[in-house]
Amino acid sequence: MTGALDGFSVRQIARGVAAGDFSATEVARASLDAIARRDGEVQAFQQTTEELALAAAGEVDAARAAGKTLPPLAGVPVAFKDNMNLVGTRTTCASRMLASYESAYTATCVQRMLDAGAVPVGKLNMDEFAFGSTTDSSAFHSTNNPWDLTRVPGGSSGGSAAAVASGEVAVALGSDTGGSIRQPAALCGVVGMKPTYGVVSRYGVVAFGSSLDQVGPLGRRVEDVAAALNALTAGGRDRHDAMSQDCAQDYLAHLDDSVEGRTVGVIPALLEAAGLAAEVRTAMRDAEERLAGQGVRVVEVDLPNMASSIAAYYVIASCEAFSNLARFDGVRYGYQEPGHATLARQTSRSRALGFGAEAKRRQMLGAYLLSSEAYDRYYLAAQKVRTLITADYRRAFAQVDAILLPTSPTPAWRHGEISDPAALYLADIYTISNNIVGNCGISVPVCLGSQSGLPIGAQLQGPAFADARLLTLARALERASDMEGRVAPAFAGRGGELA
Amino acid sequence: MSLSRQDVAAIADYARIGLTDAELDAMTSYMNDAIALLDPILEYDIAGVEPTYHPIGDLANVARDDAAAVGLSLQEALTNVPDSQGGYVRVPAILGEGGAS
Amino acid sequence: MKALAEVLGKWEAVIGLEIHTELTTLETKMFCGCRISRDDPPNTNVCPVCLGMPGALPVPNRKAIESIVMAGIATNCEIMRRSMFYRKHYFYPDMAKNFQTTQGPVAFAMHGHLDLEVDGQGAGERPVWEDVAGDGQKPIVRADDGSYVVPIRIQRIHMEEDAAKMVHVGGSEGRIGGARESLLDYNRCGAPLIELVTEPDLRTPEEARLFMEQLRKVFCTLGISDCSLERGSMRCDGNVSLRRRGAAGLGTKTELKNLNSLRSLHDALAYEICRQAEVLEAGDSVRQETRHWEPSRRRTVVMRVKEVSDDYRFFPDPDLAPFDLSDEFVERCRARVPELPDAKRDRYMAVWGLRRREAVRLAADPDIASFFEGTAKLVEAAVVPTLANVMVNLVAGCKDLTRPQVAAVARLLADDAITFAQAREVLEMVDGTDADPEAIVDERGLRQATDVRALGAIVDEVLARCEDQVRQYHGGNRKVVGFLVGQCMRASGGSGNPKLFNQLLVQRLEE
Repeated sequence: MTGALDGFSVRQIARGVAAGDFSATEVARASLDAIARRDGEVQAFQQTTEELALAAAGEVDAARAAGKTLPPLAGVPVAFKDNMNLVGTRTTCASRMLASYESAYTATCVQRMLDAGAVPVGKLNMDEFAFGSTTDSSAFHSTNNPWDLTRVPGGSSGGSAAAVASGEVAVALGSDTGGSIRQPAALCGVVGMKPTYGVVSRYGVVAFGSSLDQVGPLGRRVEDVAAALNALTAGGRDRHDAMSQDCAQDYLAHLDDSVEGRTVGVIPALLEAAGLAAEVRTAMRDAEERLAGQGVRVVEVDLPNMASSIAAYYVIASCEAFSNLARFDGVRYGYQEPGHATLARQTSRSRALGFGAEAKRRQMLGAYLLSSEAYDRYYLAAQKVRTLITADYRRAFAQVDAILLPTSPTPAWRHGEISDPAALYLADIYTISNNIVGNCGISVPVCLGSQSGLPIGAQLQGPAFADARLLTLARALERASDMEGRVAPAFAGRGGELA
Repeated sequence: MSLSRQDVAAIADYARIGLTDAELDAMTSYMNDAIALLDPILEYDIAGVEPTYHPIGDLANVARDDAAAVGLSLQEALTNVPDSQGGYVRVPAILGEGGAS
Repeated sequence: MKALAEVLGKWEAVIGLEIHTELTTLETKMFCGCRISRDDPPNTNVCPVCLGMPGALPVPNRKAIESIVMAGIATNCEIMRRSMFYRKHYFYPDMAKNFQTTQGPVAFAMHGHLDLEVDGQGAGERPVWEDVAGDGQKPIVRADDGSYVVPIRIQRIHMEEDAAKMVHVGGSEGRIGGARESLLDYNRCGAPLIELVTEPDLRTPEEARLFMEQLRKVFCTLGISDCSLERGSMRCDGNVSLRRRGAAGLGTKTELKNLNSLRSLHDALAYEICRQAEVLEAGDSVRQETRHWEPSRRRTVVMRVKEVSDDYRFFPDPDLAPFDLSDEFVERCRARVPELPDAKRDRYMAVWGLRRREAVRLAADPDIASFFEGTAKLVEAAVVPTLANVMVNLVAGCKDLTRPQVAAVARLLADDAITFAQAREVLEMVDGTDADPEAIVDERGLRQATDVRALGAIVDEVLARCEDQVRQYHGGNRKVVGFLVGQCMRASGGSGNPKLFNQLLVQRLEE
């Protein structure tokens, strides 16, 4: 079995390495070659880690030569969002604040991928500290959507989505605080999953909103994402993350189970909302029909408080962000502007210069909302509204297995096309309530837009800890589309040959 | 309810984010716009509703055993420290002009 | 400045304490697996969590929660079943995250109290007109000697993490004011700390001192900390304000820092009360400020003026699940609370008839109490009061005595085989050795002679030459026997047993 690496699924790579069709080192070189040939245009990567990759691949090859049973992701090239610590790399969060920050330890999610035999090829661009939905707020460079380089890949895990969509890696990890995995996945035409809060450890992933953040995989197939989730949950709960739960199971086992008799909810009012592109509406109606065609019962549900989720989200996320980013003061690590006689001034100037505009705005908003004059009015109220939204979902999930809705109101837009922060916030309407309640969600590419020709993603949301069932439904959606395994056409097969 | 430039300056001072005059103007208008976006949550009657601080509702009593684990070496601990001295992390005067809080 | 007694005659001092105790007897820090260390080189007991590195997450130490629940039980607190950790934000370099993880409005332990026994000179600090407890309800009853018992309410005991240690360079006396730079050692950062806050129920510096002393005894007994004030394992801040005698409202308070000995605690409060009185009597008002006690100059100086109350942006820590303590957990902690000093004191008095003063001293320190009780098992019950006397008055000065050695000395003393002075001598001789006190006594001929025949001869000799005293005795002056015993002791070169001499003398005189 040979050909361009980007044509292989995660399981095909691992099986090929195990069978000796090709070595892990050859796979690593193919991935690094694809990055070299493609990333000049895509700019998904912050850094590539050739040494780490070849060392890890060498270990896999040595293990195979010694006759050992290889772990499930042996030889699979993976890249990590640059808010995930990995010893031997810088973890920059795409911020000047951490431009030279060297990881002193490795995040649990990263370690688990490595323990499963995956080969780390690099760290991926993102919006600074994950604040954004375009990846344009990276302090270093933008990332381009592989389907149209003039367009954004979405964000904040834009590098993760673009690296997968351009075929540079088989799978990537992202983090999702308000849609930051699902939205770029939709805009880049790949599968992106935000597991239930607590399924994947957050230890070692630079925090944005601690009660909202969740790590998840992006891949070109539901199957690839499920394989990565197996690795991320293997070993059970992480004792370094007090919120992590034991969710180890084989997420691949039931992917192709029949969905006949399953129930999926839709919210008609959402499809009538202003700002929803006509081709997205059409794609969603098609998705409904494709599920119905496989025997899924489609019923209407209501989430009456969903409209308030944006406001509640911005309160909670900003408050937690202010708190989480307070540690970046340039004393123990990070950007320090020298030459100040007092610490307060040094800290204020270092933070002013180290953080980009959005990072400063979020922290300022959070510092205000937590102040004693605003706490009850906004913070406490938002956490109570969260209770109401949670109850909405509970009621809905008493009737349905999952809810089908758009991921993004539009396909990818051009760099700079939307600059108003408020307009960008509103584009998150379909994704953020899922983070507020901690449920699982996944975006699956369903088609290319009838007008734009750009990929369109459909989102499925499921109840907490029903991640396996959500994957089965996502697979049903994928099966009925022609998007499975697609690499953005401009890049498919460019470099990355497996000899 | 809107925030004045002075209010915003005080928040920036507390949050240790040095802003120039022009940045302060821009930040003040951003803050007021952002707060206006939060209006929907003010319209709720939430008396008697319990807040949800943690998304995994019934999770409680998560703790670990009192057992030592390997930490960082001095070298690892200081790798990213911009200014260190004799194994210590160094900072300039903590008290002083603008720093007495 | 006026004397404390004069000031407290006119003004009522309202004192509250905030006492931080580091749980030094635990193995690891509050939220990470780093060891708790004191003497290691700087920044060698640190990890991503306590250094606040990006992405690190806290996981609470279960044993620290057990310790604070035990502390709450031992101070008569209500154990709050449901509570949460909060983040308290302020930018300060000794906190690696620029927030401290602490507890919110609900602490693990709340609404407790300790009863203070105030006696001796210290009882005199509290003017008689103030004989009502801090809750304004309970009257205080004084004994004939002026001593009294007063309940001091405890508002809460909450769990939090300690800060890094700072070395200030370039200022005077290593203080932060005037320092050019500061050096940070994060070894202590994240160590488990419990903070106890009293209600403002204390009225005199002596009561504050006693509260601290008693709390220290309780925590020592629990074994949750080494309780060293000197090394900063227990740290106390005092809040004090004055109000006119009989007034109801509270005056402006100042907060006192650097009270790192019981004496400093007392003296700083006494100074501050007098200083505030002077300010108020001059018609000025007290400023709300934090003041630093300078023990060498015996005064407090301003550290920081508080114009507005700080806004710490408290909110529940999203990384830490709430605690919902079960009955079983609380009962398990209760079972681990050992007998506390007051209960131990009462038992010593009831079981062995010890005097209160000695019982208090023995019960105060868990090591002493356990040595005492272990030694008491080696002697007959009747000897135990003598043992207590030996322990309190003689053993304290010794370094390394075994229980059998102390038991033997107590027995010899109780049997009148040696005098008190000889007991001291013997203990000093066997201290640090494995020598047997009985053998030493015999070897050195210290044992008081109990040979009735030999002593009888001395008695006869003394009676023969003290005709006057014999006559006085027969004339009804029984006290004269004391003089005769002295004569016998002298004649025996101090080796005769004075009790036996007494018996023999009376026998002869009554014949």
